[in-house]
Amino acid sequence: MKKILAIMLAISMIFTLAACSGSTGSSSSAPAAEAPAADAPAAEAPAEAADASMYEVTEPITIKWWHALEEQYSPLVKEVVDDFNASQDLITVEAEYIGAYADINEALVSANAVGKDLPAVVVANTDYVAQYGSSGLYENLDPYIAATGYDVSDFSAGLLVSAQYDGKQVSLPFLHSTQVIYYNKTMADENGIEIPEQWDYDSFRTFVEEGAKACGGYGTVVPGWDQWYFETLFLNEGVDIITDDNTCDLDSEAAIGVTNYIKSMCDDGIAYLAYGTGASDNMRQNFYDQKAFSVLHTSSLYNTYVTKCPDFEVGMLWYPSASNGDHYSEVGGCVVGIPSKNDQATKNAAWQFLQYLCGKEVNMKWAEGTGYLPTRNSVLTTEEGVAFLEQKPAFQCIFDNLNLINPRIQSDAWSELATTWKDYMNRMINDGADVESASADMVEEINEILEDHA
Amino acid sequence: MAETNLEAAAPEQKKPFFTARRKAKIVDFLMVVPALILLAVFTYYPICKLFQISLTDWNLLNDTWNFVGIKNWNWLFAGSGAKYMWNSIKVTILYTLGELAITMVGGMLFALLFNRMTRMFSAMRAIIFVPKYVAMSSAAMVFLVILNGNYGIFNYLLGLIGIQGVDWLNTKSTALFAVLMCTGWRVVGYGMMIYLSAMMGISKDYYEAASLDGATGRQQFFKITLPMLSPTTLFLLVTTFLSAMKVFQSVDVLTSGGPSRSTEVFVYLIYRYAMEDFRMDRAATCAVMFFLLLLIITVSTMKVSNNSVNYDA
Repeated sequence: MKKILAIMLAISMIFTLAACSGSTGSSSSAPAAEAPAADAPAAEAPAEAADASMYEVTEPITIKWWHALEEQYSPLVKEVVDDFNASQDLITVEAEYIGAYADINEALVSANAVGKDLPAVVVANTDYVAQYGSSGLYENLDPYIAATGYDVSDFSAGLLVSAQYDGKQVSLPFLHSTQVIYYNKTMADENGIEIPEQWDYDSFRTFVEEGAKACGGYGTVVPGWDQWYFETLFLNEGVDIITDDNTCDLDSEAAIGVTNYIKSMCDDGIAYLAYGTGASDNMRQNFYDQKAFSVLHTSSLYNTYVTKCPDFEVGMLWYPSASNGDHYSEVGGCVVGIPSKNDQATKNAAWQFLQYLCGKEVNMKWAEGTGYLPTRNSVLTTEEGVAFLEQKPAFQCIFDNLNLINPRIQSDAWSELATTWKDYMNRMINDGADVESASADMVEEINEILEDHA
Repeated sequence: MAETNLEAAAPEQKKPFFTARRKAKIVDFLMVVPALILLAVFTYYPICKLFQISLTDWNLLNDTWNFVGIKNWNWLFAGSGAKYMWNSIKVTILYTLGELAITMVGGMLFALLFNRMTRMFSAMRAIIFVPKYVAMSSAAMVFLVILNGNYGIFNYLLGLIGIQGVDWLNTKSTALFAVLMCTGWRVVGYGMMIYLSAMMGISKDYYEAASLDGATGRQQFFKITLPMLSPTTLFLLVTTFLSAMKVFQSVDVLTSGGPSRSTEVFVYLIYRYAMEDFRMDRAATCAVMFFLLLLIITVSTMKVSNNSVNYDA
């Protein structure tokens, strides 16, 4: 037995030595499967030298599109894909619903690491753009745009920037939304709850107090499962979540003030931070059941809220202004791009589909059939925009503030930072941790993450 | 001359290398070579690779990595990783103790209850055992609905008897208990069946002799049944311990490690680093640490239990 053990240990040692010997260099190929080196003339060739013929589709090809559009949007997805497939002979697109953005992210990164079964086209939540751009997971689309003369100037400027990394167009704006407050307008009217002209953090608190009294439950719900919903409150108050010297400012006086602001509403029982399993579903259900007067959520769910609340009118509000008057919001939703490890033929087909998917006509189909915003200037500022508002008047508050929708913070450390932040917010607000000391601990941890990614 | 002959004959008498015994050993070894190769390729090589990755800065998003020495180990023991590692170890041990208690104590109690060969009891045994065949993820999805704080049937039933329900899965103090409710429902029948089969193997002679000596039922249980079941108890202890330490699916579906990492068991911690943060370097460091932890605990358990197990049954 001892001999067998010794042999095993010896074998292990050999493997260890063999394994470690491959890593003596400062940099080497990944321990995972060798990545197939895709011919990537697009990524490397300068835009002006690009030749359109390099991006033509010459052979019939079937490609996959991974998306996050839930079951209720299946007919629309099918219609869009069928239209594209019928519009030409060479490319057949197969749409696959993978799950939420986090599920797609997980599946995509795994497929990318293995270098197999990658989709030709894939959506990504706006905060993944930096990671995908910096790691080269997404193909640089600049050469494609230059070679095929694709007009990107019609995209809303902020949205276009949201789809860039380091000045490169690594994706295109696809389905976009922003943070809004949904409230029970019928209940507000019945109880004389008005939206004051001075719509700031103080008046929002009054609004929440009155709402809680009116519904006998919560005046508002702050989503805690995704920091996107509350990060705007911090940014508007002047908090630099990532400062110029690559540190975190979430323990500053301003940041602690915002955390305490949310916490005080939760401690008073007029609001709660929705966190944990089923948090999103529970929050929505509370609103549908009129147990919550208002919720902070994404504008993309407008259709869902209206459909699920037939007994009352759903109102939509812009986030309140910070003490300095700032009332920006951040872009949400997803961009769409092409994984760079695909072969060139697949990437060319993907580019054709991408152009179609983000085109003006299809964009209007998405905007009308879902709660996502039109992304094209030619829609937003024209009669089509007016027609859209007639169909969805609640979107007026977004149209009034379109120029205030900022791109997301771009950092390849963002995902780790966000996980840590959400975790600490839950501890401070739901578990009663001391805000100042927990914020200091959080910042120490986040600074370590930022340093790792520097 | 005779001496010369003896000298010449001496080398011929030397033992041949391939003796029958040695041949048999070689054949035996060759028989296990395929298994050893499979073990080496699918078990030992990944372990070594894991150790190698723990010395790099590999992020799943990148195709390149650098050798960073013991940086990740420093992070795990002296950096921000330490508190999460210790938290996960604590949660994992709590969970494991819970599952061990359910499997062994619950299994034993059910086995004692159903240790009768009537048709009714057979049906009841089957009802207790059937959940074992339900996929963990499916069971967890059902419990997700049952334990929902707002609309779950469990809170509704508690309300009927005047008990105020809580948000079981999202409350720090109840989340781990809620996960154990789900896994306990699945595993208690397994413990029962293992104990039942072992109980049936205990000779009736022991009990008859004890009865003649005037032993009570309680004395018979503690002096005969329990000691005779010790190999089974050891088997259940080791197998349940190892499976409980590696719990993942139920935690992933029910709580995703939350709230506030109160259900973040070690395997979920590894998953979190690997598949949420894409930090394969940190995930590998934690995995190596976990491997060593399991190895030490298992070997210790075997050593300690070897002295207290009765193999007569």
